[in-house]
Amino acid sequence: MAPSPSTAADAPVLEARGLAKSYGQVVALECGDLTVAGGEIHALLGSNGSGKSTLCKILAGAVKADAGELLQRGRRITLQSPSDARDAGIGTVYQETSLIPALTVAQNIQLGIEARSRLRLVDSGRSRREAVRRIEDFGSTLGIRFGPDDIVGDLAIDQQQLVEIIRVVSRRPSLVIFDEATASLDRVQVDGAFALLRRLREEGKSAILVTHRMDEIFSIADRVTVMRNGRSVGTREVRDVDPAALIDLMTGAPADAPPVSRRAQGSEQPILTVRDLSSDAFRDVSFALRRGEVLGLGGLQGQGQSELLRTIFGALKPKSGEIEMAGIPGAPATPAAAVRRGLAFASGDRKRYGTFAIRSIFENLAIARLAQSRSPLVSRARLEPRLMQSISGAKLKFGRLDDSISTLSGGNQQKVVIGRWLDTDPKVLLLDDPTKGIDIRAKRDLYEMFSVLQEKGLAIVIYSSDATELLEIADRILVINGGHVVDELKDDRKTEFELNAAALKGA
Amino acid sequence: MTVDVPRRRALNVPRSPLWLAASLVVLFSLASVALQPTFLSPRVLQSNLSTFLPLMIIAVGQTYVILGGAIDLSLGALVSLVNVVLVTSLQALGADPSFAAIAACMGMALLVGAAGGAVNGVLVGVLRLQPIVSTFAAGIVFGGIALWIMPQAGGSMPPVYAKTYAAKLFGVKGATFMLLSLVAIIYLISRTRFYIYLLAVGSNRPAAFQSGLPVMRIRVLSYIVAGLFASVTAMVILASTSAGDPLMGQAFTLGSVSAVVLGGTALSGGAGSAIGSMLGAVLLGLINNVLFFAQLPFVYQTIVQGTIILAALAGGIMVSRR
Amino acid sequence: MAGFSRLAIPLIAIVAILVVGEALSPGFAAPRQVFNQLTVASFLGLVVIGQTLVILAGGEGIDLSVGAAVSLGALVAGNVMNGSDAMILPALAASALTGAAIGLVNGIGVTRLRIPALVMTLGSTGVITGILILMTNGKTSGRSAELLSQMVAPPLLFGISGIVYLWILVGALATFVLHKSRFGYSLVAVGANEQAAAMVGLSVPWIRLAAYVGCSSVSALAGFFLIGYTGSVFVSIGNQFVLTSIIAVVIGGTALSGGSGGFVGGALGAVVLTLLQSVLIPLNVAEFGRQMIFGLTLIAFMVLYGREPKST
Repeated sequence: MAPSPSTAADAPVLEARGLAKSYGQVVALECGDLTVAGGEIHALLGSNGSGKSTLCKILAGAVKADAGELLQRGRRITLQSPSDARDAGIGTVYQETSLIPALTVAQNIQLGIEARSRLRLVDSGRSRREAVRRIEDFGSTLGIRFGPDDIVGDLAIDQQQLVEIIRVVSRRPSLVIFDEATASLDRVQVDGAFALLRRLREEGKSAILVTHRMDEIFSIADRVTVMRNGRSVGTREVRDVDPAALIDLMTGAPADAPPVSRRAQGSEQPILTVRDLSSDAFRDVSFALRRGEVLGLGGLQGQGQSELLRTIFGALKPKSGEIEMAGIPGAPATPAAAVRRGLAFASGDRKRYGTFAIRSIFENLAIARLAQSRSPLVSRARLEPRLMQSISGAKLKFGRLDDSISTLSGGNQQKVVIGRWLDTDPKVLLLDDPTKGIDIRAKRDLYEMFSVLQEKGLAIVIYSSDATELLEIADRILVINGGHVVDELKDDRKTEFELNAAALKGA
Repeated sequence: MTVDVPRRRALNVPRSPLWLAASLVVLFSLASVALQPTFLSPRVLQSNLSTFLPLMIIAVGQTYVILGGAIDLSLGALVSLVNVVLVTSLQALGADPSFAAIAACMGMALLVGAAGGAVNGVLVGVLRLQPIVSTFAAGIVFGGIALWIMPQAGGSMPPVYAKTYAAKLFGVKGATFMLLSLVAIIYLISRTRFYIYLLAVGSNRPAAFQSGLPVMRIRVLSYIVAGLFASVTAMVILASTSAGDPLMGQAFTLGSVSAVVLGGTALSGGAGSAIGSMLGAVLLGLINNVLFFAQLPFVYQTIVQGTIILAALAGGIMVSRR
Repeated sequence: MAGFSRLAIPLIAIVAILVVGEALSPGFAAPRQVFNQLTVASFLGLVVIGQTLVILAGGEGIDLSVGAAVSLGALVAGNVMNGSDAMILPALAASALTGAAIGLVNGIGVTRLRIPALVMTLGSTGVITGILILMTNGKTSGRSAELLSQMVAPPLLFGISGIVYLWILVGALATFVLHKSRFGYSLVAVGANEQAAAMVGLSVPWIRLAAYVGCSSVSALAGFFLIGYTGSVFVSIGNQFVLTSIIAVVIGGTALSGGSGGFVGGALGAVVLTLLQSVLIPLNVAEFGRQMIFGLTLIAFMVLYGREPKST
């Protein structure tokens, strides 16, 4: 095959042109363009649902694109599977690691490249030594607390992330993708990981860094590509831009729109009081929530916010501390008990905690009400109007109520998952990153739904990975870092700057 | 350096309940010695080994499928199929065949087992059908083919086949030789990449796929390996029964699953060991043995046996979860 | 409804088998012959209702002890009745209670001790078989009451036997519960997504436990009526139902992964299996051929329905 004219030493290491991917009716990526030069660290920035994760998965071979093309050093390549990507010298570090929990650290690091003897049997001694060498070579700056023979499933999440980083980076891929891989790491660990990326860059290798953290981009990246609503909207030299300009690109609107002002809160008795609540994931959390109040939980991802919400809801057991709901003390032992006391819960992890994917929209809506009902029979004729009435404000778009909920877009699914509680008349709604991965219009609809509920006197506790969202809808924000409440932001301190500062403080 | 951190595993109880199966084997061996004074005599040990060996071999085969997160409910039928193929072909050789001819028949038996395993592998690994029902369906077909080849139990074999198995080679009989080979093969398999990948696939299939492992090939191969073990099981059984039976394998399907679970392998895949399954099979045999020599009235034997097995299964699973 | 297209496959299979059967041996599709087939199918059909309950509840739910429950239900009924018409109702109650006890043990093992259903029900089969041998001493035991035998097998109304009416009744009741009751909604919710079900306040263990109790109870009842058909009981009378009930569930379009499917499909699945078995008999197809056709048909059904998601 004759080399095409563009094949040259200085051709980009990887070039994506017009990549697209849809899941059913949901367009995850409309037009992904990205050009990564040799010896470059290229940041990929975009809000949740902007398509950057899908783009990364296509580059990693884990997802096949519907359209578009991929060029490696000017030559067209197709990636049918992750092993194709690996053979093409592309290594990916995922946020939810692709490690095998049942195997040891050493086995995971050598997975697929085990040393073998002449009889083609695995030379486990040599394999382990090789793994130890890789751990020593690449792990020394990372703050690791594991040995080569530890079972990966026993490690804490940050340590697992470090194993994955060592596994991928030590194989010297010509392009390494960090897909929000720093989210569960602390400051020292992130610095260590970046030191590895710089080392790769010095060797002429390239990296794609997907991150939410603006400071990370400015501390390490050479160029940044911004994505919005499934499209690449621009690539900039990092030294030529400032954060505000990037945020403009991300949102498509001027930054620093003032947060919506909220009315003052009444001074009633708190409806939910949490005192010194502790578990493995968080310590000594205290707050009091009043009717109609929206309490935000802020901080980086995975700092114990999600566990806190699920503990209040009775799905996890606290180690110590008190929960008092509407004057009744004691932590609910099960979600069922929590629901009886007027709590409701919705998670952004819809697949896992939210939808009954193979069941109809009607059933998905009705189930929360039915779980509360005492009547053994279900009268659809009576139930349906009530449910439709209670979610009438949600602008739910659907074909028929008997269609499977999987026919809906992510945003509409989430409206069902939250809307199913409205007819049960809850006092407190717990929301765990409820708008993860849904489009901006559906987000707006959900915010409206929240504010209607709030006016009816419902109190909300919300964790969100989206700072803008948190600042917009929360009356005050508890910033959680390493399981501790490190700050409470309200009134004029409720700003993105303070939120970021508190989230990164002392981690 | 962090690498020198004390190994955490050494401090914990082993996560596989292998020790539970092992201690139960010891317990029932002691009970056997008490009830049957000759239990430890070479002759009785040898005869027990011959009795237990078929289930031990098929349980090892089942282990590899279960470690990969699937199950094979066709193994019993596959043992029957290989059995009748082997008997029919040996019969055709006449009374005094050459060793080469017998070896060819055995090679064919291995091929039949591997082919049966490949069928299951395609159904589960390639077509991604649900393992329980699809392997069961394949088992019905295997059983049908076995009946087609040999409608009734019977057949006569060249005596040299059984004689060779019973003869001593370097002082050990065929069954002992098979046992040692089985352990050696388990060891060799545990040293292959296939084995590590199998654990990976059984432990977390999406992660294994993302790590670039050939998930489909590994799953297919695990069924082929199980099929090969089914072939060996059929050969060993034939050496002691010297006759063909198109229904003889039936008990091995669920028996092998029980032995695997008793041996501490998780049905969800990714954790366990073939040695454990061997112990599980021995345990099942010893339970029968003890009940027989305890001179328990016949009508009580099944219920006591069933209760012990259920308790051991439940106990093993609960221990492994701690 | 989405459920309808799922039923199309077994319906087409039934029509196809009847057409082929009629072509091969005239009279196969005659009403009287079909009613006879339905009578045979009804015992399996009852067990399938139970198996469907357990499979719908998800969590890798499956019940391998249905056969043993049928046998024990039949044995208890036979011994309580021992030929006496007056003891029919007590025998019915004893059978049902026996089944409920089996289901309780299975359900506690699966939900509280968290033993995989496959292992738990396999283990309890061993124990129940032991009880059966202990009770019967390995011989046939107990006799059906004359009245029960009259009610079960011979045509009762419009040439259809009583057991078929009963099957329809139980099936209709189960379908009603599935679609119109809180328990039915909860059952499929638990089967479809156990974690989401817990998060809306459903008690996952209790609902699953109820499914196991229901399954074993219906199976034991099938045993009660089976003795009315066969007259007396032998230990392995229920064994034939273990795997056929699972296959019928699959043919009927119920997902083995739980949360999706229903009883009408399972009933059609039981009819498909029964017809398939009997269409081969007049053909003088040997046992091996019947088995092979049976197995291949099942694989074909599996290919038509259920492929697991790819591991991405």
